[in-house]
Amino acid sequence: MPENSFTNSPNSAEAPRRRLPNLFVLRLLVVAVVVGAFMRFFGVNIGSLGQGLAYSLVGVAVFITFRILRFPDLTVDGAFPIGGAVCAMLIVSGTSAELTLFVAFMVGALTGLITALITLFFRVEGLLASIIVITGAYTVTLRVMEARSNVPLLGERTILTPYQAPVRAWLVENFGRGMRRQSNNLVEIVVFALVVIVVLLFLTWFMHTELGLVLRAAGTNSQAVRAFGVNHHLMIILALMLANGLAGLSGSLAVQQLGFADVSLGFGIIVRGLAALLVGEVLLRPRSIGQQILSAAIGMVIFDVSRAWVFAALSLPTTDIRLVSALVVLSALAAPNLIDRWQEWRKKRRRSDA
Amino acid sequence: MLSLEHVSVTFHEGTPNEVRALQDLNLHVRAGDFITVIGANGAGKSTLFNVVAGVVPVDSGKIILNGRDVTNQPEYRRSLHIGRVFQNPILGTCPGLTIREHLSLAALRGKRLGLGSGVKHSNAAWFYELVKSVNLGLETRLDTDIALLSGGQRQAITLTMATMMKPKLLMLDEHTAALDPNAGAQVLELTVKLAEEYGLTVIMITHSMQQAIGVGNRLIMMNRGRVLFDVSGLERETMRYHDLIERFRSLQTGDELSDRTLMS
Ligand SMILES: Nc1ncnc2c1ncn2[C@@H]1O[C@H](COP(=O)(O)OP(=O)(O)OP(=O)(O)O)[C@@H](O)[C@H]1O
Ligand SMILES: [Mg+2]
Repeated sequence: MPENSFTNSPNSAEAPRRRLPNLFVLRLLVVAVVVGAFMRFFGVNIGSLGQGLAYSLVGVAVFITFRILRFPDLTVDGAFPIGGAVCAMLIVSGTSAELTLFVAFMVGALTGLITALITLFFRVEGLLASIIVITGAYTVTLRVMEARSNVPLLGERTILTPYQAPVRAWLVENFGRGMRRQSNNLVEIVVFALVVIVVLLFLTWFMHTELGLVLRAAGTNSQAVRAFGVNHHLMIILALMLANGLAGLSGSLAVQQLGFADVSLGFGIIVRGLAALLVGEVLLRPRSIGQQILSAAIGMVIFDVSRAWVFAALSLPTTDIRLVSALVVLSALAAPNLIDRWQEWRKKRRRSDA
Repeated sequence: MLSLEHVSVTFHEGTPNEVRALQDLNLHVRAGDFITVIGANGAGKSTLFNVVAGVVPVDSGKIILNGRDVTNQPEYRRSLHIGRVFQNPILGTCPGLTIREHLSLAALRGKRLGLGSGVKHSNAAWFYELVKSVNLGLETRLDTDIALLSGGQRQAITLTMATMMKPKLLMLDEHTAALDPNAGAQVLELTVKLAEEYGLTVIMITHSMQQAIGVGNRLIMMNRGRVLFDVSGLERETMRYHDLIERFRSLQTGDELSDRTLMS
């Protein structure tokens, strides 16, 4: 038997890794405490937490397309407002608000399906295919909203309204009138958190099923997956539908939080999703698939909180929101890169010192 | 069990870059054959595999697998009967997934995908035995990310995945070429062992003449998209390393000469 030459290099790379305890939960707690303290200290409105939760599924959607599928899909920019518009129209027409969440998911999934079919059948590159779909989706959104650019939900029953009055009464009774202003924000946070947790649990379960396993494999190596007898086109379709379904659902949550649907709601959503993904990855360093999904969602909450803070700290007018978003995204994108370069520079200096 | 009839493949047809990768190629593989394939770079060996696997469509000709015409079947459908290992260890594995998840993927070959658990507890003992029989001590590291394994380790796992569902045909494209001599020898040993154990039909491309005569029961040399010779039985048994090199050289120069005469 020749000397076993397989067991050399990887052991050294792996040994220290395995001995590390799982720090994910610890990081999660630290981030929660820091964000909480930060919000208290700087007086950031807790409304930004609810908003972050409403948008958090976009972070997960971007995780599915960019990380799992490794497919540069921008369709969420179209799926998000369509989901919101359909939700608003249904609520105005008297449909149960809870039901509209499912419908918004389905409509978003349909948008993703169209992008998938354009790439697969016409061999249009993913980036371009999704831009085409976003462009078309704008008109569809307008049509859904009957050619209005804005549909208000004033006085309609959303998934939040049933809890608002009782919670307000309860808060005032127990904590005094000062809590009145925060009561709607608290309802938002709790209701959205519940919806998001249910969705994240479902996704984590799904990623561990046969289909989910193949889906994850298809993203990293489509050749290997075909060699196992899997039609990887179906996996692309499935992942794009799932991701954009989540974006549609997120759109419906956002609309119910804002109290109106707007045709321009989706503009730049993809950038926010990417930022959420990066923020989550940098701060939480997730490893397992469940951790990765959770990190993308939490990344969005952190992103929204920091944006709200930038806004308040510089006392900017609301019209500046896009530029502030762009800058926060830019810093989220640039930070890991800069940190890497800085470390490299330090290493080099140490070497030249020695 | 596998027949290629008058198969031709031309890349970039009608352009100055035209390559006739396979030219009217005929090949009949019997069940239980272990064929080694040699030939110069660009002879069309990988293209032969790609055509059988359905990666590259044929321009003309027929491919019959187990009595069925599969010429127009998509790659993923043919994969149900064909196990493949590539030269590059990276091509056969999915970084980010563990060894156990890879074996689970392989175990799903040919099954309807559902919402059952992807990594089944009931497979644990089977996976353990499979990886243990590879003899690399990987059975204790089933939950390691495959990206952390060396090329040889990965190739051994890929080979296990390609064979564990006992495919009708196993195709190996220089699957030991990227490995150091020790690792290469071990993977080759494993290949022979698995082929015997499962009674697989194997086609193996190699650039090592030693491997080509040392393993299997039939040897094929390809050149310019054709099968130049196809030896088995006694003729192959008595073939020596130097005979093979000699024939390899003479056939090549002969070919070049005839080409030159054609050109002038
Ligand atoms: N997808 C492709 N597109 C264009 N030309 C190709 C393609 N695949 C192979 N060829 C060409 O076909 C010819 C045969 O290539 P092939 O890869 O089958 O050779 P090979 O015998 O496997 O060589 P090697 O020993 O170097 O692996 C080469 O000239 C190659 O350039
Ligand atoms: Mg080749």
